[in-house]
Amino acid sequence: MTTTFPPSSSAPPASNSGGLMAWLRKNLFNNWLNGILTVAISAMLVWVGMSFLEWAFTVAQWSVIPANWQLYFVGRYPNDQYWRLWAIFGLVAILSGLSWGILARNTAQLFTKTALICLGLLGVFGVIMPAPLTSRLLFLGAVILLAAAAWGGRQLGHSVAGIGRWISFAWIASFFVVMWLLAGGFGLESVSTGNWGGLLLTLFISVVSILLCFPMGVLLALGRQSSLPVVRLLSVLYIEIIRGVPLIAILFIGQNMIPLFLPQGMRPDNVYRAILGLTLFSAAYLAENVRGGLQAIPRGQMEAAHALGLNPALTTMLIILPQALKISIPAIVGQFISLFQDTTLLSIVSILELLGISRSILANPSFIGRYWEVYLFIGVIYWLFCYLMSIGSRRIEASLNTEH
Amino acid sequence: MTQIGTETVQDTMNGSGDDKPMIIAQDVEKWYDNNFHVLRGVSMTVTKGEVLVVMGPSGSGKSTFIRTFNALESYQKGKIFVDGILLSHDVKNIETIRQEVGMVFQQFNLFPHLSVLQNVMLAPIWVRRWPKARAEEVALQLLERVGILEQAKKFPGQLSGGQQQRVAIARALAMQPKIMLFDEPTSALDPEMVREVLDVMRSLADSGMTMVVVTHEVGFAREVADRVVLMADGLLVEEATPEVFFNSPTEERTKKFLSQIL
Ligand SMILES: Nc1ncnc2c1ncn2[C@@H]1O[C@H](COP(=O)(O)OP(=O)(O)O)[C@@H](O)[C@H]1O
Ligand SMILES: [Mg+2]
Repeated sequence: MTTTFPPSSSAPPASNSGGLMAWLRKNLFNNWLNGILTVAISAMLVWVGMSFLEWAFTVAQWSVIPANWQLYFVGRYPNDQYWRLWAIFGLVAILSGLSWGILARNTAQLFTKTALICLGLLGVFGVIMPAPLTSRLLFLGAVILLAAAAWGGRQLGHSVAGIGRWISFAWIASFFVVMWLLAGGFGLESVSTGNWGGLLLTLFISVVSILLCFPMGVLLALGRQSSLPVVRLLSVLYIEIIRGVPLIAILFIGQNMIPLFLPQGMRPDNVYRAILGLTLFSAAYLAENVRGGLQAIPRGQMEAAHALGLNPALTTMLIILPQALKISIPAIVGQFISLFQDTTLLSIVSILELLGISRSILANPSFIGRYWEVYLFIGVIYWLFCYLMSIGSRRIEASLNTEH
Repeated sequence: MTQIGTETVQDTMNGSGDDKPMIIAQDVEKWYDNNFHVLRGVSMTVTKGEVLVVMGPSGSGKSTFIRTFNALESYQKGKIFVDGILLSHDVKNIETIRQEVGMVFQQFNLFPHLSVLQNVMLAPIWVRRWPKARAEEVALQLLERVGILEQAKKFPGQLSGGQQQRVAIARALAMQPKIMLFDEPTSALDPEMVREVLDVMRSLADSGMTMVVVTHEVGFAREVADRVVLMADGLLVEEATPEVFFNSPTEERTKKFLSQIL
């Protein structure tokens, strides 16, 4: 909310000298109009901020959060099986830490200022989290695991060649372990998806949809560039049809129409139908993002690969796609963030993800009218995850940058 | 135009020794999609170990012509044989022919997401199916030969133009091709870097490599070329030894071209 204009290009680079007053004068009070705007906007901000704080500390009744914290985070997942979710949390923390350490193995410092601030914020969150003491301790434990694994990953990255491939395998394997822990079976008590809920369900649906729509989007993008007319036509048709239909329509079709076509025993439950809908929808958009990257690769790259004797498949796999994906990272992550936010639509088709469970909490007579508290709380959660994704995207981009 | 059967050409190609033809182009004609008649009947032979320099004004079809030798461009009429294999329009194993023909581009076209060493190792590993250790050994030898050994771990974006072009030469040589094509390899370089690239090409020529070089470097053509041809408007106008080409050309078109570049 600044009122400044970019300095003209003929101006000398701004110097740091002059201190606060000079900075204020240059950026906020450089003419009388900007001065007035600055004062007016500051006054408004202060007023909004004060009102919010007043509300937050005097009017708001935050008890709706701690009273329902289990619902927010895991829905109706059975109480005595929580250890399985903590095991997943720990596993993901370790793998994330290792990956982080390995990605950052060649940087000067692992725990940079930003990294320390993030870890610190996680720690603070763990301390003030509206949850029982054991949960908070377990959460803090996971944060420590994350940091320790990051440190370990950096050491491994230096000493073990080809560690990147191992960590990729570990992620793939962990997916099956996570599914097993979540759903049960094979010796564990089984928990049906109807009992998953809240943030757990939001994350599950998002992660699985992202994992599925990514390869599908890449294939569609390649199909759209294919030299085979049939493949090209089908890809274009798919992409353009899906992009012409609103997501909510696709979700309704998934929830209400698919059961009509399939016999009783074969109907996938509604969580998997939701994942199907989100995946089919996002893949079309992702395909367009990847296509943008593909088109940005100079022709010479393909020619050089062909001249070396690489066949078209190898040329795509080794030369074109890696570069195209690298260019598309911001757009792809943007699409992932949209997908994550789009999971809120599932509350309309009666899936109790984070927003759905919040609505059911608000329907409880003892919490009637607590809209502001509840929506603010889950809003912060959504923001946190989106922000983490965009930080991750910038990290990956930086680590793939080969021009210095 | 006399149609020469594949067998006859095969026979001549099997002849060993220095006069074994590596590339035969017979009345090659090509139209671009917009019906532009870019090659209008070009015939030419390059024998083993020969260095052929192609000169000519910009837009005359030089790039198009040499790119037909590794099937980066198709052609509609005539015939091209590379190492005895006819490059027909429906040739099955285009990759097999491309393995025998290395190419160096004006814009280097290194793979920016791979390190210098990986650039050179890529094709031997994936196309020739060499074990990684062998590919690395050969790649390091080649990088040493072109004087880039210290930069092996860097990425192309961190090198100067001259260094990048030398890596591109090493990358092409890693496939152990029988023929090397150069399309204006020094035209995109700053003047002070032209020499380092030409030196590498000169030593490659001395080692007996069959080379077709499109270039405007008169000094290089005079010293290194066995033959120089002039291409203009999709035709080969003159073909001569460098001596004759630069000192006493017969064609008016050549004289005019030389007066423009000398
Ligand atoms: N893909 C293309 N489609 C249509 N015309 C082309 C294409 N590529 C090149 N040309 C035209 O063909 C002519 C010869 O091009 P080129 O072989 O690159 O010449 P040179 O290498 O001698 O400068 C030029 O007039 C150019 O504009
Ligand atoms: Mg050219």
